[in-house]
Amino acid sequence: MARFAVRVQVVEAVMAAGLAVLIARAAQVELIEGGRWSTEARVQRTEQIVLAARRGALVDRHGRPLARTIETYHVGVAPNELHDVERDGALIARQLHLRAEDVTQALARRYAYFAGPFSALEVQALRGMRGVHLEPVVNRFYPEPDLALAVIGRVGDDGHGASGLERALDSLLTGRPGSAVVLKDRAGREYESPARVVREPVAGADVVLTLDAELQEIAQRALDDAVLRTHATGGDVVMLDPATDEVLAIASRRRDGSVRPSAFIDTFEPGSVAKIFAAAALLERDLVTPDERVSGEGGRYRIGHRTIVDEDPQPSLTLSDAIRVSSNIAIAKFSERLSPADQYAALRAFGFGTQTGIEFPAEAGGKLRLPKEWSRPSGASLAMGYEFAVTPIQIAAAYAALANDGILLQPSLVQQVVGPDGTTLYRHRPEPVRRAVTPAVAEALREMLRGVVERGTGTEAALAHFSLGAKTGTARRVVRGRYAPGRYTASFAALFPADRPQIVLVVKIDDPRNGSYFAAQTAAPVTRSMLEQALAARDVAIDRTRLSTAAIRSPAAEAGEDAGVVPYVVAWPYRPDSAAPRAVRVVPNVRGRDVREAVHTLHQRGFRVTLKGWGVAERTSPAAGDSAAAGSVVTLFAGQKQ
Amino acid sequence: MAAKGRHWVALWLVAFLAVAWLVIARQTAAIRAARELATLREERAALSGRSADLERRIRAAESRTVLLPLARRHLGLRVPADTEIILLTAPGAAPR
Repeated sequence: MARFAVRVQVVEAVMAAGLAVLIARAAQVELIEGGRWSTEARVQRTEQIVLAARRGALVDRHGRPLARTIETYHVGVAPNELHDVERDGALIARQLHLRAEDVTQALARRYAYFAGPFSALEVQALRGMRGVHLEPVVNRFYPEPDLALAVIGRVGDDGHGASGLERALDSLLTGRPGSAVVLKDRAGREYESPARVVREPVAGADVVLTLDAELQEIAQRALDDAVLRTHATGGDVVMLDPATDEVLAIASRRRDGSVRPSAFIDTFEPGSVAKIFAAAALLERDLVTPDERVSGEGGRYRIGHRTIVDEDPQPSLTLSDAIRVSSNIAIAKFSERLSPADQYAALRAFGFGTQTGIEFPAEAGGKLRLPKEWSRPSGASLAMGYEFAVTPIQIAAAYAALANDGILLQPSLVQQVVGPDGTTLYRHRPEPVRRAVTPAVAEALREMLRGVVERGTGTEAALAHFSLGAKTGTARRVVRGRYAPGRYTASFAALFPADRPQIVLVVKIDDPRNGSYFAAQTAAPVTRSMLEQALAARDVAIDRTRLSTAAIRSPAAEAGEDAGVVPYVVAWPYRPDSAAPRAVRVVPNVRGRDVREAVHTLHQRGFRVTLKGWGVAERTSPAAGDSAAAGSVVTLFAGQKQ
Repeated sequence: MAAKGRHWVALWLVAFLAVAWLVIARQTAAIRAARELATLREERAALSGRSADLERRIRAAESRTVLLPLARRHLGLRVPADTEIILLTAPGAAPR
């Protein structure tokens, strides 16, 4: 009996021990490792999927889409799930525009994958087909793939901007992807159940560019024609609205068909289009009077070891004549009155030797050497547009300063940024960089440019009813470090109209080989052609109200010339396209003042202030004495009191 | 009259069935809605793709490269020279 009792006790003890182990294990699983097991179970039963955010659209200044996002698809096919591999394969090949042999070959594998991407239209007939799996993927769509290709750029395989504005504005255009959780079975297949959205995707911002699609098309077409006609190696066209420095069109073309943003990154010696800046320096410093003349030297003039030659020698010339007939000798002789420091300062004032600051991922600053690096004839060379290098966008911005009463603005490609909820996140305001010349000097220079078209080297660009101010430039090209014989860059910079200009045009033709290489015969007619097309176009960014009143005052119209036979009726009322420039004010000198007082002074003057540092105001950007638009941001740099 | 044990069992059973029915009904409705949503998404994507394709074709057709030669060849039209363009000044229009 006693032995039985002992046996029972042993069994009880074993059971108690087993129970204790079980409880301990349960406690370990539930209380200690509970979190890990719970996570593992969730991972096995659920999957977090990424909800792609729509990339913001790029539109032109009139709202015409230039780039937008659409849903496209990768197509996966499980051949063992197809009803009839041969028949279904043929349908897949037909719908996806693939070669039947390639599809048949792909279907011989365990799983076929066609990356595409294929449009919704292409995969429409494949929806619901057993064995076909569609993987949606958002993709970039360019309605006019060739329009402003180099400027707009492209998106890379990772969905982010790879070049051009797509890259520069990537952080704005890229939205924030969302996420959702879906249920899976043991085999990893998704249940057909609604996804639980963890985070909604936020679409990227839409960007309104300053480009005018119609002007862009006109520019591209005119440039294409010019490059083909002149057998040039390439060319560039830039159009700016001088009131705001918004880029209306920018076209670049190489003869080999390659596309790159050469208007921003390729520098060239501007030649005679830069003579106007030497004239600006002379007038700004009162070193020349309007009636003052210099000798034409019979067409040959020697400076040091160099001989300067004029194609069209004149007995004597004023500064206006020097610009009008593009006299190298006269501008070189006048520029001898400028000190190197003044000449350098004048070119810097127009923005040469530094980047313009336009919103483009790559921009060359050009080349402008310090005066201490100049040789004896450097002053004359710079006055003639040699010994320094510029980009077409720099030339356009500098000419825009002449149109804008002497104020150099920062060119821009972005007019507005609109958030996904429709709110305006950014609106472009003219950003003054500095005053390059006084309004009176700017007006005098515009008159000189008008003379070039009316009686000088730019007559090929003249329009009968609209005034134009312009300057031609035919510069020798440097090949492997030397000026190559017979190779030139023809350029033409124009203000249209000459009175209160609305468009600044720069045309550059690289190395024209067919016929004349002079800008007057190559680049000037391109300008004229573009302006004629722009005038005849319906919705381009030209304020016809201003143009019509200016046209009435033009000498040709007063002379009662034949006004033509095909009246062109403009829409009325016309809504001016370019934004009205805001009042421009001088930045006050707040140096040495307490930051509180300095900020107050700047606010009183109508500026917004960004403060860097604390203590005593040291300097501002823009600097004291410079002009800036009311409401623009002035950065105030301050340091601790000594 | 106090409820007997079997009444309680029946009551619990009915309650369980009601809750189970509610859960199943909600699941079914959700799956139906998800299916409709997926169909609508597919339709929207297809329409968007069609719209993009049409937009591309329209832009190509009305581009200057295509339109100007056609207008010249078939209608005898051309881009007017600047001498043929007259801007009309509206009465009272003040320059900006």
